[in-house]
Amino acid sequence: MTSANLKPNQIAATCPACSLLCDDVLLENNQNKLRILNNNCAKSVTFFEQNLSGHIPQSAGKPASLVQALTRAAQILKQAQQPLFSGLSTDVTGFRSLFTLAEKTDAGLQHMNAASMARNLAVLQSTGWQTTTLTEVKNRADVIVCIGTDVVSHNPRFFERFVWVKNAMFTDANKREIIYIGENIDTKAGISPNGTHSSLLTCRASDLPEITLTLRALVVGKHLKAQAVAGIKISDLQIVADKLKQAKYAVLAWVAKDLDFPHAELTIQNITETVAILNQSSSSHSGRAAALPLGGSDGDTSANNANTWLSGLALNDENVEHDCVVWVNSFSIEKLPPKSDKPLIVFGNLNCQFETAPDVFIPIATPGLDCSGTLFRVDSSVILPLKKVSENNLPTLSEVVSEIEKLI
Amino acid sequence: MITLLKNGKLYDPTHGKDGVIQDIYIRDGRIVAKPPNSEKINQTFDLSGKVAMAGAIDMHSHIGGGKVNIARMMLPEFQKTRNYSEPEAHVCTPNCSHNATPNTTDTGFRYIEMGYTAAFEPAIMPINARQAHLEMGDTPMIDKGGYAMLGNDDYFLRLLSNKTDQKAINDYVAWTLHATQAIGIKVVNPGGISAFKFNQRRLNLDENNVHYQVTPREILKSLSRAVNELGIAKPLHVHCNNLGAAGNYETTLNTMDASDSVPMHLTHIQFHSYGTEGDKKFSSAAAQIAEALNKNKHITADVGQILFGQTVTASGDSMMQHLNAKHANPRKSVIMDVECDAGCGVVPFKYRDQNYVNALQWAIGLELFLSVEDPWRIFLTTDHPNGAPFTSYPHLIRLLMDKGFRNEAFAKLNLDAQAMSNLTSLTREYTLYEIAIMTRAGAAKLIGLNNCGHLGVDAQADITVYTEQADYEKMFAKPDYVFKNGELVVKDGVVTKVVWGATHVTKPAFDIGVEKGLSEYFEKYHTIQLDNFKISDNEIAEDGRGKIMTHESKTRAN
Repeated sequence: MTSANLKPNQIAATCPACSLLCDDVLLENNQNKLRILNNNCAKSVTFFEQNLSGHIPQSAGKPASLVQALTRAAQILKQAQQPLFSGLSTDVTGFRSLFTLAEKTDAGLQHMNAASMARNLAVLQSTGWQTTTLTEVKNRADVIVCIGTDVVSHNPRFFERFVWVKNAMFTDANKREIIYIGENIDTKAGISPNGTHSSLLTCRASDLPEITLTLRALVVGKHLKAQAVAGIKISDLQIVADKLKQAKYAVLAWVAKDLDFPHAELTIQNITETVAILNQSSSSHSGRAAALPLGGSDGDTSANNANTWLSGLALNDENVEHDCVVWVNSFSIEKLPPKSDKPLIVFGNLNCQFETAPDVFIPIATPGLDCSGTLFRVDSSVILPLKKVSENNLPTLSEVVSEIEKLI
Repeated sequence: MITLLKNGKLYDPTHGKDGVIQDIYIRDGRIVAKPPNSEKINQTFDLSGKVAMAGAIDMHSHIGGGKVNIARMMLPEFQKTRNYSEPEAHVCTPNCSHNATPNTTDTGFRYIEMGYTAAFEPAIMPINARQAHLEMGDTPMIDKGGYAMLGNDDYFLRLLSNKTDQKAINDYVAWTLHATQAIGIKVVNPGGISAFKFNQRRLNLDENNVHYQVTPREILKSLSRAVNELGIAKPLHVHCNNLGAAGNYETTLNTMDASDSVPMHLTHIQFHSYGTEGDKKFSSAAAQIAEALNKNKHITADVGQILFGQTVTASGDSMMQHLNAKHANPRKSVIMDVECDAGCGVVPFKYRDQNYVNALQWAIGLELFLSVEDPWRIFLTTDHPNGAPFTSYPHLIRLLMDKGFRNEAFAKLNLDAQAMSNLTSLTREYTLYEIAIMTRAGAAKLIGLNNCGHLGVDAQADITVYTEQADYEKMFAKPDYVFKNGELVVKDGVVTKVVWGATHVTKPAFDIGVEKGLSEYFEKYHTIQLDNFKISDNEIAEDGRGKIMTHESKTRAN
């Protein structure tokens, strides 16, 4: 889809509503009202077709001028000894400006997905991992195991764009084998175009530690005395282990947010170590395997990457002491600021929701909607530009932050 | 405004100046001829008794992009080693970040504090180029640039295996330079990263990639020919097959042979100079490699010296890094297959002087430095951070310039390794002039930076001023002054002003028809739009700090 074939009111856009960053979306802009013409999903429709009118800053719950709101926000930040910048739902440019302000105000940084990000980070920092990216999946994967997740609840177009594709370079996409392990799994997306159903091993999320450990043992080649584990027959898990070993390119996927139980990092590590065993040249496996962390939203991968190169450290889930909260929310209007009795400043999408009115609310432009931007895709390797696709005179986050810096 | 640097002792190999006392005049960021007496000199620095060189250029240092950031992310413990006490590891500059994975600000600061004014990221994965430029864009003080990796990407391998004509390959190579905003082309383990995705575990120079049925030799020939015919100044940057493997020197010699007299640069050649002699089946083949380098005048190399201490290896070579991961210290690693484009392997290493292999690696690097005769064709690198952090350069320079210091260090090594090295018989000591060639004039010439690396009229006024000392490590760790684009930015080894350097690129002409095949490929097999693959000038320059400097390429007839 090149811009040459488009009508004057059509725009080829990149969607930041989940971290797949689909850039094959076609929009129509009629008098600043956007409509998605193709390649949509529920998340992208909500995002692009949101109402973008009415956007007055607020101070103490009352409409205020931008200058008044900025002045009040600067006052609160100046008085605070240790602010917490939370949410951090923004793009790379927005994050860089927040990082600078955080350094100046001695603020902590905590992304709204910090808890689930920490699960993956714990594995990366403990053993590391062997992973792949979406174009590799599209062209190579012949067995895909989704552990504790249906993926599509987070990344709606995962199967459409990367699994059931017309062309794959190194495998017959239609013959891909999909295996789910977990509970409350919507397996519809895992049905192949020729109607072949996926396999599903049902278990409770809290049983995943035990089940992934068993699968890891079976892939190593251990013989187990037990007949079943957490309600799943060992023979069924053995079938999964055998399929992994026979695969030319097996992919083991998970979504950290769906592994919401204590010490979920150990489950993720079971998955990544299963991959490591499959990749040992001495293993009985005759192909390759790779891990694939999915999910992600609200610029979490971008914030983590930018924080890492700017500070030398990954973005941690530090529940720091604080005396004021700055909540930044560009992409997920339904997500609420952390409950706190401290002063609250919000820089966010104009449709942002709150339980109680913040001390200051400054509506900002949303990257990919009414300003341009840059985001990392969930696999961290692909970074895409976001376009400004509608007009709205809102300031960008970095403009707001730089004004506040001048006032502090 | 005119700045005068008075009475400096100039080491400017581009102009054959070997310690000539001379004045330097600077106007508008450039070196200018002596202005007429009527013009006012606004600022004068007395360099009497001091040494002046152009700002140093690191032609191979992993300073930006995915794998470096993965290393930072994986190794929070590196950030806590502020009181690190292994003197062999590196030399402290003021505020030293003391680790192999400094953040972007520290990277720029540590470089400029040592008098380096440019560094080149040698392994930009095209699909990840935007990240590399984002990180380099956040790296202050120095100029930047990078080499785009090709030769394991499925698009190229399809062209090659379909026996597409060389012109189409040339167009694709030129298109890639534009799309990624790079100044050179690199190939890492030619064909091997792709082969690893098909479960091949090693790939020799004349062995086929199982899927494409093409050999590394064919890949090297095709890419080096493209680089040469497009007139890109920087020769193809080659990370040979079989990195780190005992006996790999034969692959390296054969790779020189595969160059067919077309210029080729062999990178971190220390890691590719290993024999299989002795009880431990691991030996130095530095003599054979140096002999071949001395003979083949069209080949250049950088060393990739290792120094002892904790570091991390970050490479595109997923195949060999997967093999090396068993030596990881601390015991963790990241291996990635990336986007039908390339791969990546990040493995932390702790090089120890009492370890036979590590000690010999140290000696092999120095043997190479001392045995390669022409300093214009060998470059001073540690393959930062793979052999050691770049902050150890002053230490490395002293090892090259001071025989006594070198032999003392050698005497502390693992005894078996000492027995397998002829290092003490190499009595050469590098001169300041030769150091200036390796780290300035030669590097600029190699990359094609006509206005850098020298002190002639019209050069970019990147100038480093040192006080000559018997301890060359001290001398090179802490310049008296560093000027970036004519501005004083470092005094007594400390940054006094924050500035932002340019990004050097080259954009050879190509037939836009190349996008037809690319569009079809992207549409069918990729997961992003072709237009989004390309990085615009604006993305680098729009924040007001970055700037693109395009260098000429001169198309050569084929």
